[in-house]
Amino acid sequence: MNKFSKIINNISTSKKRFYGEVKRKYPINPKDAEKITSIPLVKKEYRRIFAWGNIQTGALGLAYLKSNENIEKVTTATCGFGFTAFAVNSETNIKLYGTGLNTDSQIGYHEVRQNKPLGIIFQPQPIPLPFLNPEKTKVLKLAAGRAHLIILTDEGIFALGNNAYGQCGRKIIENENYTMSNYINHIDKIDGKTIIDIECGQDHSLALTEDGCVYSCGWGADGQTGLEHFNNAQQFSRVKGDIESERIVKLACRSDFVLALNDKGEAFGWGNTEYNQLTLPGGDQQVSVPRHIEMLRRIGKIKSVASGGTFCVVVNEQGQVFSWGYGLLGAGPEAQQSKLPIKIPDTLFGRNDFQPNNIVKSVVCGLNYAAAITNLGDLFIWGRNKSCCLGLGNEKDQYFPLKVSLGGHVQNVFCGVDHTIALCKPFV
Amino acid sequence: MLIRDAETIWNTLKGIICVYKPAEVSVQKLRTIIINKICTELNETEVRPPIDYVAIEGDPMKSLSVSVRPNYADHPLVVGPRYQEEDLPLSWSNNLGWNTTGVLIFGLRSGTRSAKFIRENRPTRAYRIKGVLGEATENGLKGGKVVEKSTWRHVKQFNMDRLLSAMQASHQKKMFEMCGVDMQSQLGYELAIKGLIRPLDGKIPVVYGLKCIEFDGPNFTIEIQCVNEYETYLTSLIHEIGLKLHSTAHCTAIQCIRHSYFTLEHALLMKHWNLQNIITNLEQCNKILSENENLVKQESVALI
Repeated sequence: MNKFSKIINNISTSKKRFYGEVKRKYPINPKDAEKITSIPLVKKEYRRIFAWGNIQTGALGLAYLKSNENIEKVTTATCGFGFTAFAVNSETNIKLYGTGLNTDSQIGYHEVRQNKPLGIIFQPQPIPLPFLNPEKTKVLKLAAGRAHLIILTDEGIFALGNNAYGQCGRKIIENENYTMSNYINHIDKIDGKTIIDIECGQDHSLALTEDGCVYSCGWGADGQTGLEHFNNAQQFSRVKGDIESERIVKLACRSDFVLALNDKGEAFGWGNTEYNQLTLPGGDQQVSVPRHIEMLRRIGKIKSVASGGTFCVVVNEQGQVFSWGYGLLGAGPEAQQSKLPIKIPDTLFGRNDFQPNNIVKSVVCGLNYAAAITNLGDLFIWGRNKSCCLGLGNEKDQYFPLKVSLGGHVQNVFCGVDHTIALCKPFV
Repeated sequence: MLIRDAETIWNTLKGIICVYKPAEVSVQKLRTIIINKICTELNETEVRPPIDYVAIEGDPMKSLSVSVRPNYADHPLVVGPRYQEEDLPLSWSNNLGWNTTGVLIFGLRSGTRSAKFIRENRPTRAYRIKGVLGEATENGLKGGKVVEKSTWRHVKQFNMDRLLSAMQASHQKKMFEMCGVDMQSQLGYELAIKGLIRPLDGKIPVVYGLKCIEFDGPNFTIEIQCVNEYETYLTSLIHEIGLKLHSTAHCTAIQCIRHSYFTLEHALLMKHWNLQNIITNLEQCNKILSENENLVKQESVALI
């Protein structure tokens, strides 16, 4: 009938293709491919660090290449109120780099002229620490408050910066000039016990020892030290109350409300609870004695806790995220205040039919925002977008968790007041 | 074929069919082949015989004679075959590219409307894409000229998995931004908790699922669930995966394994294209269509 009828008859009879190949003006010679040399991989073990938020404090550091070439692999970091510190693997006494605001020598004493210390540092600068054995010592964790920095190492803790409330664990000196200060307070052990974890609030510090006891010092006007009084504590003292007989494994604090997690997955809280982080029958807004949070019993065993300025976030064993308090709780624009934990739907953390085993691993809180890391290495963030600290590419507040686009597998995230640092592993 | 009556068969040819598209042939050509096949086979069955010519002759004032004669004006040898190619409307629901193989949906006669609605509803499609690491070609496909080579032995399965999960999560963020609702509003939140939502725009590709299902040496296979995609997008996705893994990659095969509810099981292979199989397939597809009304009439933005 026409040319197609012939074609169709051929389909079943012959295996020959009935449609033509693309004709090229210059046919490809497969041998040409052999001449191309293969590009080798230039690979060095490294971490990717992403920083976003307020750039004016210098806390993000400049993408300054020359000095960073010598920096070894960054192991951990922390964000304070306008400054950042990084810990690196090295065999010298320079295991710490700091950038950002340095009003109280919280990231070390850096001067260009004699007696003229720098108030702002715009690129990571080394902070030498007086180690006994610099070759073997490792920095385990960093924690930063409003204007102080605490470094946890194998040799105990080192504290730098403002000590106006005793947050560095040493005696308060009246009218001490912190700008000119070059004093690093070293605490080897507390009550003869090794310190395994540290955490900083705004102007107070917490330390966790190997037997699960919590010690605190610093500002206690709202009860955030948990020492059963509202005065400043000048040295690390044991926190009692409901946690006295518990083995605490994790502490979380960003401002003035502290959350502690024990090995059974129960949470305890103390500090300023004016936003209903802890509802007490008496209606007290300042709690200086650690209290067990009863209402969290119904959500099961808790895996990770985080406490922001006005709200708290917890993750249970199933990877479900709950938040309560005041602020952007992450469950839409209408959920801005709650005394009881509100569940943030799992679908918002990328759990769906195509990715059913995606669960939240840990949560971290900034002052007015929160972040969650999933087991697939994605970072989800929500809250107030002060100085674009959410890193979502806009200046709008985010009412529910949204993924931050990062070029790496997120290992750890550190939230400050108006800036965030993410420590990532590259995909390759 | 039990029924030999062409008219009965013609009346059943309404609805959608699901065929398997081979590579290196255009959808337009497949359409022509199917139409041709149906028309040829219909004409071989018992078609309508020519209507006889009734002639009333003679002088009207006297007696008239009525005679019935064969009508040459209605004879197939004069007017052509009973079923002609332009009589059969046939349109495709998803256009697959020249190099893509897999599930392809055609609407026959009144089914062209259904095919149009399915296309406008933007259902998800699943693809299985095979790629090779280490070589980049000029068009991202295996037929192209090799323009770059690189090492690939540092790439392991977990590198691929990590990258793909990050890419998938980033696409989900895009999906929220593209749903057409202000993300700061309560409505935007209520949409977001539904999980997967369809984009408002019909042009920008959105990936919902991205998974490496096989990794063996330089060869890998990924499975992707997406909407609004096109062939160049998929090849460039493979190219991008190669770059992100500090290597290069090109595509060796693209296969559409699912289009909404239609899978490879329903797809009719080219060697089976005859009238009997097409009608069986048509009934099968129409059954799926009647069972899933959301295919034709979509009211929810949530993904099926």
